[in-house]
Parts: sequence; C-alpha cells; structure tokens
Amino acid sequence: MAGASAADVRSILSLPNPSTAGPSQPRKPAVPAERARKPEGISRELYSLIGPSVPSLAAQLAKPRLKQKPNLGGGGRVKWEWRSFKNGARSDGFELSHWAKAGSDPNAEYPFAKYNVQTTSYVYSQEEYARLLEDAEWTKEETDYLFNLVREYDSRFHVVYDRYEYPSGPQRTLEDLKDRYFSVCRKLVRDRPWAGDEASKNQLLSSLQFDKERETTRKKYVTSLEDRTPEQVAEEDALFVELQRLEQNERRFKRDRDELLRTLLGIESGLPDVQVDEEGLNGAPQESKKRKRGGNAGADLDTPVSASPSVIALGPAIPKKAQSAKNAAFDAQNCIIRTEVPATTSSSTKVAHQPVYLRSYKLPTPKMTAAPKVAQVLGELGISHTRLVMPTRENCAQLEFLLEAGAALVETKKSVDKIEQDIRIAKARLDNRQSEDADGEGTGDAAPTPMDVDEVNDADADAEGEVDGRAQSVMSTRSTRSARGRRSV
Amino acid sequence: MVNYGGDEVSALVVDIGSSSIRAGYAGDDTPKAIVPTTYGFTEESPSANEDIKMSEANEGEETEKPRVNLYIGQNGPSLWRENMEVSNPMQNGLIVDFNPISPLISHCLNDVMRCNPSEHPVLVTEPAWNTQENRERMAEIMFEEFQVPAFYIANTGVLNAFAAGKGSALVIDIGQSAASVTPVVDGFVLRKGLQYSSLPQLVTAHARHLLINPTSRRPAIHLWPQQLIASKQPVDAGQNPKFELRSDRVAKTTASWKKWAEDREVDEWMQSVAGVVDQGWNEQFAHQRGPKHYEFPTGYNYYFNGIERHSVGEQFFTHSRQLVETNPNLPKHLPALISSALSACDPDLRQVLMGNVVLSGGGSQFPGLADRLANELTRSFPHVKIHAPGNPIERRYGGWLGGSILASLGTFHQLWISKEEWQEHGRAIVNQRCK
Repeated sequence: MAGASAADVRSILSLPNPSTAGPSQPRKPAVPAERARKPEGISRELYSLIGPSVPSLAAQLAKPRLKQKPNLGGGGRVKWEWRSFKNGARSDGFELSHWAKAGSDPNAEYPFAKYNVQTTSYVYSQEEYARLLEDAEWTKEETDYLFNLVREYDSRFHVVYDRYEYPSGPQRTLEDLKDRYFSVCRKLVRDRPWAGDEASKNQLLSSLQFDKERETTRKKYVTSLEDRTPEQVAEEDALFVELQRLEQNERRFKRDRDELLRTLLGIESGLPDVQVDEEGLNGAPQESKKRKRGGNAGADLDTPVSASPSVIALGPAIPKKAQSAKNAAFDAQNCIIRTEVPATTSSSTKVAHQPVYLRSYKLPTPKMTAAPKVAQVLGELGISHTRLVMPTRENCAQLEFLLEAGAALVETKKSVDKIEQDIRIAKARLDNRQSEDADGEGTGDAAPTPMDVDEVNDADADAEGEVDGRAQSVMSTRSTRSARGRRSV
Repeated sequence: MVNYGGDEVSALVVDIGSSSIRAGYAGDDTPKAIVPTTYGFTEESPSANEDIKMSEANEGEETEKPRVNLYIGQNGPSLWRENMEVSNPMQNGLIVDFNPISPLISHCLNDVMRCNPSEHPVLVTEPAWNTQENRERMAEIMFEEFQVPAFYIANTGVLNAFAAGKGSALVIDIGQSAASVTPVVDGFVLRKGLQYSSLPQLVTAHARHLLINPTSRRPAIHLWPQQLIASKQPVDAGQNPKFELRSDRVAKTTASWKKWAEDREVDEWMQSVAGVVDQGWNEQFAHQRGPKHYEFPTGYNYYFNGIERHSVGEQFFTHSRQLVETNPNLPKHLPALISSALSACDPDLRQVLMGNVVLSGGGSQFPGLADRLANELTRSFPHVKIHAPGNPIERRYGGWLGGSILASLGTFHQLWISKEEWQEHGRAIVNQRCK
C-alpha cells in the first residue's frame, strides 16, 4: 500500500481526476499560454528561474527607483588655464601667473588682495609736535623713528622693541616705547576734531591707555615668579595642596554641623535651606512641627504668634493675616483650640524653643516629691495618671485638677502627720512631768503613751476627713495601718 | 581655490644648508632636489685635455687663469678623482664663498629639477644671523644670473615655525655646522634673543677624537674611506683589520678630500651608533643601553658599548669640566643656548615661547635627543610643549617645508621683490621688503 499514490486510489475507486491538484499531489508544471513575452526590466536568467508566475513582482522589479545621481560640477568639464594676474596689494605692476578657471573674469580683483589690511597709523605735523608733543626725554627725530618702526611692524611692540636701534639715543625699555607711542596718540586724538560721537572717542582713548608704572610692576612680578627655584615651586605646590585639603575639611565640618543643626532645630537653626513641607500631614510630630513653624516663618512678624505648642495644626498652613478675620469660626469648624503662649522672641537658642508636641505626650504629672503618694491615691481610685484613653483638653484639665487635689491631700496629710507627732511628743513630755510630779514608776508608762497619741491622731484625721470628703478613705498606708491598729485596739 | 589660503604661482624654494641644498616647488611637501653643498674641484692649466665634467656648472672658468672644474651633486665629491680638492661654501650656516653658489643652485634647478628659473619666482632661505651684504648678494645672483621674475629671502627660523604651523615659536635648529635657538614672534625673529653656536662641529670632533684614539680595550681606528681600499678580509669583532690600500690613489689624494671622507665616516658612525641618554648622564644607565655593532670600511668591526655611544650625544647637553677649562671659547651647549635666548626675551613672551618649542634640523635626529631635550626643559620650565615632527623629512627639511608653505600662500604674493622693483630700487629693496 505504501507505493500507491492518490492517483492509483482514484483509478481503483474510479473517481474522476480532480481539476485542481490536492495539497499532497505534486503540482504539474503549468504550461504557460504565451511563454515568449519576458517582462521588461528583468534579466533573462532571473526570468527563467522564477518564470512567469510572479508577474506582479516583475512589474515592480521593472524600474528600480534609485536616488538620482548627484550632479557634481555641473556636468561639463572645467577648463583651467595658466593666466597671469595682477595683485591689487602690490604697488608695482608685477604680474604672477596661476591656474584659473577658463570662464572666470580675467580682470577680477585678486581674491587675496583684500587681506592686505593697513593698520591706522598716526602722523603728526611739525606744528602739532611743537605744540603738544614736546617731551624732555624724547627728541622729535627719535619719536619719528619710533612711529616709523611701529608702522613698519604693524604695532607689534615686541618686534619693534627688538629692532629698535636709534643711534646715540638712550637705552629704552619696551615700556618706554609703548608709553611714548600711546601718550602721543592720546594727545593727538584729544586735540584733533573728532568726527564721530563722544562714546567712540572715549573708547578709542581707552584703547590707547597705557600705564607704564603698572606694566613695569607687573613685569617685575612675572620675573620674580619665574625666578623661583624648584624648591620654592615645590613648597608652594605643597602648601597649595595643604590649603585645599584644609578648605575641604572645613567645608565638610560645616556641612556636618549644618546637617546636625537642621536635624535638631529645624527652621530655628536659621539655616536657609531647611525643607519646609507645605502640603499634607505627616504623622511624625517632628515633621509636623517643622511644617507649622515653616508656615509661621512665612507669616508677618507683627501677627501674634498663635501657634500653640499643644495643638497640631491640621490642614494647610494659612497665612495668619488672612486667617485672623474668620479666626473663631475657622477654629470652631476645625476643632482648633488656640492657646496663647508667650512669644519666644530671639528663640534661636535651644532652651527657649518649645517645639510642637502631642497632648498625650505631655500629660500633667504630679510633683516629683509627692509623685509616688499621689500615684497611690490615684491607683486607689482606679485612675492611671500616665495614660489617658481620650486626652482631650477637658480630660487633661480634669486630670490636672485631680492631680492637684491629690497633691494637696498628700500635702495636708503630711502636715497633719507632723502636727500629730508634735502633739505626741508634747504629750509624752507632759506625762513624764506628771509622773515625776506623781512620783510614780515613770519608765514603765512609756509604752502605752504612743497608743493614746494615735487615738488622738485618728480622731483628728477623722475630723479633717470630713472636710476632704472622698479623699478620706484614700489615705496613706501608714494611716490605714494605724486605723486598723486602732480598730484592733 | 581660496580654500586654505593657497594660491600656486609655481614658485621655487631653495634652502641652502651646510650639508645640503634643498630645492623644490612651493606647495610640495618634499624638496625635489637634495644636493650636497660640498663640492669637489680640480684646477688644471687651460692647455690640459678636457676632463669629464660632472656638471655644466663651471662658471668660474672665465675668471681665473687656471681652469677650474667643479664636481657637484651626488657624484661630486664622493667619487674619487685625481687631485680633487673638496670645499664647502658655508661656514657656521653663512655663505662665505659665493663663487660656487650659482653653479650649485644651477645644478639644483636646471640639472636636477629640469626647470627654467627665469620662469619661476624663487624664495631663498637664510639663517637668522645672515648679514645684509649676504642677502643682497644672493638677490643679485638670482636676478642677474638666473633672471628670476621675482625673489624673496626668508629666515629659516621663521620658516621652521611656519612648517610647524606656528606664528610664534622658539625654534631649535640643529644642523650640520651650527645649532641655533631662535625666538620667533608673529613671524618675526627677535634678533636680541637669537643664539647660535657651532655645537654640532664640536660633537663631530668629539666623535672623531673618540674613534682615532686607542682605548684600553681597542686600538685606534683607521678612518680610511672605501674609495681608497683595494681589498679587505673579514675579521672578528675587535680584531685588527686586514685590508690593502689602493696605493695608486692614496698618493694622489688631496688633504681636503681625505678630511672630507674621514668626516663622512665619522658622521656615518655617529648616525648608526651614537645616541643620547634621555634622563641626563648616568654611566650605569648608558651602559644598560647595550653595545652596538659597527663595521668600518677597513673591515674593522667592534661592539661599541653604551657609554662610548652615548658620551657623543651627551656633548649636546653638557661639557666636561676639563674641556671647559682647556677651551675658553667652547661653543655653548643646548641648555645654555636656550636659557640665554629666553633671558634676552621679554618675560611676557617666555611663556608663549616655551609652549611652542619647535625642534628641527638633521642634527636633532640623534636618537633620544628630543626626549632628553623635553626632560631638560620640563625640569626648569613649568609648561613646555615641544613640537618635534616624527617624519624625518619634515624634521630635516623643516626650513624648506616652511618656505614651500609660505611661497604658496595667496597673501604672500604681495611680498615678492619683482625684477622691476630690483631694477628700480637696487639692493636696498631687499632689506626693506624682507624684514
């Protein structure tokens, strides 16, 4: 069965041959109707390979559209000819020859003649010299010589100085020459009528300015700089490196210090680039403090500092002036309570500054001396003074009042104890005296005496407890113990 | 055409040096003709039969009673001839004898370049210390004898700076007979700062002294040139040479030719073996450079050790104390030339000059000389930049190259001294135009 093809199967089943070949059937080479016509623009070899089956492609192949060749040099050949030319910069009629384009104008000006720029040179008349330019150190002949040289060498003063050899004249320095030349030019410009405006004249005069003293000093400095020995240069270099190192250190210290100040003091550090976060509320109190203070700093200094240390400003910091009008309404609406705090002027010191805090962080605490006793009193009442579930303003005030009451109670108790003690001692003394007077065995009676005192004490305490009301039952351990002792007695 | 400012007028550039005359077309990068300046000549009575003349340039024949035959060019002095004297018109870079100059130039232009000088403007170079008479004489030769249409004479220092592309430079030019340090500012030589000495001659003399005197390890070396040697046999290094002289020639050899030939042997030895220690003189360091082998025409060959080789180049930079004591007018060495040139310049210019040091001339091609110079200069000046072309042609013929650049510039053509001007103004125009 393996050798049988689809055609065999068809013939066995006597099926008609399909008009179109199936996919598994080898395609019969299609015999083209008109083979002869080869499309234009396709090579014969390529056509014989791909055949006529791709006419659409062949149509595209026909004309490959390439970029047009650039037209260099205008197509035709350029003709050059050896031609003599006149140079406009020359004073004589000398003609040199060079290659030139055949078509170009033979009488055109030589292109390089325009670079022959003459510098403006100053010339003075005999009369002008006599009137203006007389100088004790310079003769007219030498000045003429100098001006000729300057003109000849186009004001290249280094070259002028090099070629300056005035016979029987004094030795001139470069500065002498420059000074003389420029001073003469300045005098001429000032004296002569000026065609342009004043500004251009001043500009010209300033360009002719020459300070001989300064130049001489400067040159002296340059020379001394060059005359340094290698050791001096090396030392200078080393010092410079050291200086740079120190400066870098100082910068680093300053940066660290600023960083530290910014972290500790925020805006109060007085540093210019403290980050002020204007938008949004950040949870950390440190940042909210910054933000609030930043808002304040932006406000006018005349406005009362209404920033409360015990209040967190919610919402955007609004400039105080705008706020003051609707202050009350705004505060009521946003549950803001303002507390007047003494304005901390010149509060750049760390001590004077009171940053913002959460109220729960600053619950009132009893005085240090009485703290354990007050805590005990509160504990008996079932109140924790270190933690308030709802530290609202009112609650805080009540807690504070409670603590104050507790403290007063403890204080009272203490004075009461003290007085009782005094009474007891006084009583003991009295008893002693009575027993001495009664001539009895006074030493044996010492023991029961405190008991009696205690009784009196308790009676007193009870009387006081009546006044204090609730506080009566919450007494110190000592008093309770003594009370128990009294009952047991 | 206007690009790069060049405009070719087919000018010729002639650069006359102590060792060679360079000639070529302006705008080229290499001279077309390089001809030795040294020439040979024989004198004979007019009745004598016509000798083979190497060149047609025998201009001197009408002037003197004895007929003088000049032998110029590559085959001039280097071919041995009976009773031929050898001479050089240059001394310390200056032309001292103008008689052979026109035959030499004519040989370059007419025979080697095959051009007619009367059709081309000619630019000639001169050393910075050239005299006024010399440049006027040169102009006269060019105008009167060669009938050039235009002439200009330019300074080699300036041209070397131009070849390096600089307007201001400190040009250190070490030639065959003179070493010079020329401060150039804006294309002008500062004459007050110009320094030159015959240092290269001292170096050659030192090398010659070194060779012809025996040392503890080798005998004195004979500098016989190959023209006088009939046969030789190979010998081991350091062994005495086995050679036979051409006795027929030796007898008829003139002293000047022998001197010239021996100097050439010394020169070749220097070029192949000598060098400069680039970090200052240090015997150990020089010794580490190792020996180099060299064989003389006699067959004598030897491994010259590092110290021997480098002590020659060291003469450029330091002179031994005994040499200074015995020779009062010793030529200044390079560091002395440079420092005295600089100290004569304005302090403002020193920085500019040291930032543009141009090293030029064939003598500067001593191996290691450029490095040594850079080291010496950076030691004493903070900001030194040395321009030393790596291309040997550019280094040797820097002056010619600068002339080639200058004479092909469009803006230069106004400076030519035309024949008309020469005839009108006479000699004075040369000094007036060529500043």
